[in-house]
Amino acid sequence: MDTLSLEGIRKIYPNGTVALKGVDLVVRPGTVHGLLGANGAGKSTLIKILSGAITASGGTMRLGERQLAWKRPADAMKAGVATIYQHIPVVSTLSVIDNVFLSKTAGWRRSDEDAAKLRRVMEKIGYYLDPDATVGDLSIGQRQMVSIITALIEGAQIMVMDEPTASLGVEERDVVYKVVRQLTSIEGKAVIFVSHFLDEILALTDDVTVIRDGVVVLTARTSEVDSDAIANAIVGRAIEAIAREHAEKSADTGGIALSVKDLASGSRLAPANFNVATGEVLGLAGFLGSGRSEILHAVFGADPKAVGAVTLNDKPVGRSPRAAMRAGMALVPEDRSSQGLFMQSSVCMNISFPYLSSLSKWTVLPEVARERNVAEEMIRRLKIKTSSSESLVSELSGGNAQKVAIAKWLASRPAMLLLDEPTAGIDIGAKADILALIREFAANGGSVLLVSSEFEELLAVCDRILVLRKGHIVAERIASQTSEHELVLLASGA
Amino acid sequence: MHMTRLKEEIGLIAPSTTVGSGVLIDEKKENLAVSKSRDPYVLGILREFGVYVALALVLFIVTAIAMYLGKSQPLTAANLSNIVYQASLTGIMAIAMTVVLITGNFDLSVGSVAALVGVVFLMTVGTLGFGIAAILALSVAAFVGLVNGAINQFLGINAFIVTLGMLTGARGIILVLTDGRSLNSTDESAVAAMQLFETTRQPMNVVLYCVGGLFAICGLVGLYRGSTSRVRGVFALIGATIVGGMGILSGPRDTVANPAIYFLVFTVVIWLLLTFTTFGRRLYAVGGNAEAARLAGVNVVGYKIFGFLLSSLAAGFAGLLYVSRLGSTYPGAMQGAELAVIASAILGGTSLFGGSGSVLKSAAGALLLVTLTNGFNLLNLGANYQGIIEGVVIIVAAAIYTVGAGRRR
Repeated sequence: MDTLSLEGIRKIYPNGTVALKGVDLVVRPGTVHGLLGANGAGKSTLIKILSGAITASGGTMRLGERQLAWKRPADAMKAGVATIYQHIPVVSTLSVIDNVFLSKTAGWRRSDEDAAKLRRVMEKIGYYLDPDATVGDLSIGQRQMVSIITALIEGAQIMVMDEPTASLGVEERDVVYKVVRQLTSIEGKAVIFVSHFLDEILALTDDVTVIRDGVVVLTARTSEVDSDAIANAIVGRAIEAIAREHAEKSADTGGIALSVKDLASGSRLAPANFNVATGEVLGLAGFLGSGRSEILHAVFGADPKAVGAVTLNDKPVGRSPRAAMRAGMALVPEDRSSQGLFMQSSVCMNISFPYLSSLSKWTVLPEVARERNVAEEMIRRLKIKTSSSESLVSELSGGNAQKVAIAKWLASRPAMLLLDEPTAGIDIGAKADILALIREFAANGGSVLLVSSEFEELLAVCDRILVLRKGHIVAERIASQTSEHELVLLASGA
Repeated sequence: MHMTRLKEEIGLIAPSTTVGSGVLIDEKKENLAVSKSRDPYVLGILREFGVYVALALVLFIVTAIAMYLGKSQPLTAANLSNIVYQASLTGIMAIAMTVVLITGNFDLSVGSVAALVGVVFLMTVGTLGFGIAAILALSVAAFVGLVNGAINQFLGINAFIVTLGMLTGARGIILVLTDGRSLNSTDESAVAAMQLFETTRQPMNVVLYCVGGLFAICGLVGLYRGSTSRVRGVFALIGATIVGGMGILSGPRDTVANPAIYFLVFTVVIWLLLTFTTFGRRLYAVGGNAEAARLAGVNVVGYKIFGFLLSSLAAGFAGLLYVSRLGSTYPGAMQGAELAVIASAILGGTSLFGGSGSVLKSAAGALLLVTLTNGFNLLNLGANYQGIIEGVVIIVAAAIYTVGAGRRR
C-alpha cells in the first residue's frame, strides 16, 4: 500500500474563479483522513480532481513513487482511487449484484464467479446485502454500501467519501463508521472522509485537514487537536457566540401570535395544540419522520389533508398557502432546490416572486427596478455572496442559496416565519449568519417556528422547544432549562 | 465609446474593463469568489438568436438558389407574407404549445382537436350560422382542453399519455361523426362568412408598419433599460428597420391574408402576456419548480390546466381556419399536425422539461419549417427528401440548444 500525496494542487475555472490555490495533502495507507471546510472553501473541487471528474490547473499527485495524471473518472478508478459521492450514482432499477458489476465488460451478465467475489468482499467488510435485492428498494445507507462494495470489487486502494453520513440516520451512521474502520485498520486501505460533523471527525479519523478559501489552513494528527481548534480553522466564528448573546438579552416575549388548535393530518400528525408568542422562537425537535415538517406544512395550509384551526394575531388563517401568506406567514421549506427556489432563475426573480404583485404596476406588470431594489437590499442585509442580483441561483453555493430562500420571504416583513431545517447542509459561517438572522427577526417582534435536527442549534436560538415523536408532541421544554442530552432522550423515546 | 460597449455586450470584443482572467482574488473581496459563469460567446449568441439567424439564412439560400435556377423568387414583401400565411396554422398552435411546454406539460392532441373542431363547425354552420357554430366548435375545443388538464392534474396521469389517448380518441369521434366521409358546406351565406373570416386580405403596408413600430418600441425600451436587454434591443431595432423598409417598398396593391394577421396578433399578445405580466412570470415558475411555486401561494393546478385549455383553443381556431380555407374537411384532416407544431417549438429552443421557452422563437421556428418546405418544392426535391432534411434540421437545432447546457430564458 502506498501513500497518496498531493503537492501544490491548483484549480482555476475557465470563468476565472480560483477554487484551489496550492493544496498539499498526504494520506497514509491504513488511516482515515478527515477533510473539512466551509461551503465554497474548495473541498468539492479537490474531491472532483481526485475522482478525475475535472483536471487540476497545476501541481502534482503521486501514489507512492507513481506520478498520477488522469483525464476521466475511469483513469482514477484504474489507479485505485474511488470516490463515493453524497448523491450516490446507482441504477435504482437494477439489483445489487448488477450494480456492483456494472463496469464489467466481458463475460455473462451473471456468473457464479461474480457472486462468489461479491460474497468475499461482503465478508471482508462484515456487511451483508441480498445480491438480488433491487437497489431502488434499499435505504440511502444501504445504497452507499453498494457503492463502497463496487469500489472494493474494482480494486480501490484509496476511497474518497464525500459526506457519507450527511443523509443517514444514527444506526446507519454506525454501520458506515464500522466499515470505514474495517477497511483501514484491517484491509490497509486509505479513506478520505469528508464531513460537516466535527464529532464524527474527531471519533473516526487519524489525520485531519481543513481547507479555507482554496488553501490548507490546518493539517494535524486528530489526536492533537480538539473541536474548537477545527471549528476555528473552518470559520473562526461559532454558534456559541449567538447563544451567549441570546442568553444575555433573555427573551421577553409578548402575547400570543400564533395559535394552533387540533391541527392534524392523517396518520402522520396527531392533533396538535400549541401557541407561539410575539417575539418568540419556538423550536420543534424530532428525528426524521417524527412529523416535524408535517406540522409546518399543516400550519401553512400547504397540506391539503390537514384539518384544524390556526389563528394568527386572533384572526383565523385560511387553509391554503395563499391565505397563510396574506395573513403574514412565510414557509421556508426543507429542500431548497426542489421546494424553495427556481434554480434556473436569477436571485432577483426568486426574491421578488412571492410578493410579485405588490411590486407590480396594477398588480400585473412587474416593475424591474423595484424588484432589483428589493433584491439588492436583501443581498446586503443577509450578506448573500453573489456577483449581482442577476446571477442565477444555481451559481451560488449552498449557504448563499439558502439565504436567498429565506430572503424571498423576509422582503415582505412577515409576522410569522416557519423554518424547516434552514441550516441543513450549509457551512458554519452561513449557519451562524442565519441563526443570527432568526434572533434578529424575533427581537423585532416577529414569531418563529423552527424545525432542526441539530438540537444544539435549537438550544442556541429557541426560547421554547416542543419535542415530537411519531407525529405526537411528547414534551415541552424551556430552552434554557434543558440539554441536548435530554432532547435526544425525549425524541428517541428512550 | 457607446459602440464599444455594445460590441462588448454582443461579444464581438473582449471586455475592456476587466484585465486578464480574473485571477486577482482579494481575500477581503469575497464577492469575487462567486464569479459568474459565462458560455463561450459565439455559442451563447447562437443559442439566444440562433433561430432568427437560421431563418434569415434559409430564406437567403432558398432565394439565391431559386434565382440561380431562373425561377424568379425575389425576397419581396408579398412572398414573405405568403410564407407567414402558410405557417399560420402551425404557428398559432406552436405558440400555444410553447405555453404548455413552459408549464412543464405536453400536448399531442392538437391535430385531432383541430380536425374535430372543423367537423363540428361544418356540421352546424349551415343551420346555426357562422358565429354560433364557431363558438360551439370552440367550446368543444375548450372542453377537450379542460378534460386533458383535469385528467393530468387531478388523476396525475402523465400529459404525454393523456394527450396521446386524446389524439386517438378525438380522431375516433371524428370518424363516428362523419361516418368516414368527407364533409362540406353548401350553405351560401356560410361559405361567404367563412371566406370573410379566412380569405379576406388586408393592406400590407399598414400591417408592416404596425409590426415595425412594435419592434422599434421594444428595441428602444431594451436600449433604455441597458445591461442584458441591450443586445436584444439592437436586434429588435434591426428587425424594425427591415420590416419598416419592406413596408415602404411594398406596393399599394400588396395585401396580407387574414390568417397571417391572426398569427401575428396571437403571437404578440401571448408574448406580451408572458414577458411583462405577473401571470407570465408565474407560468414560467410553475414549469420551473412547481413545488416552490405552490409554497409561494401560486395556484399551480390552475396554471397547468390553463396551458392545456389555451392549446386546445388555439388548435380549435386553427381548425376553423383550415375548414374555412377549403370549405370542406375529411376524416384524416390535419393528421400529424402535432409533430410540426412540436418541431416548431423545439426549433425555437423551448425546453421539454418546462420553465423556459419563448413564443417569438417558436413563431420563427414555424416560419423556418415552412420556408424549408417551400425551398424543397422550388428545387423539385420532392417529398421523399423533405423528411430527411427536416429531421436533420430539428436535431441540429436541439443540439445547439443543448450543447454547453447553459439554459437561461
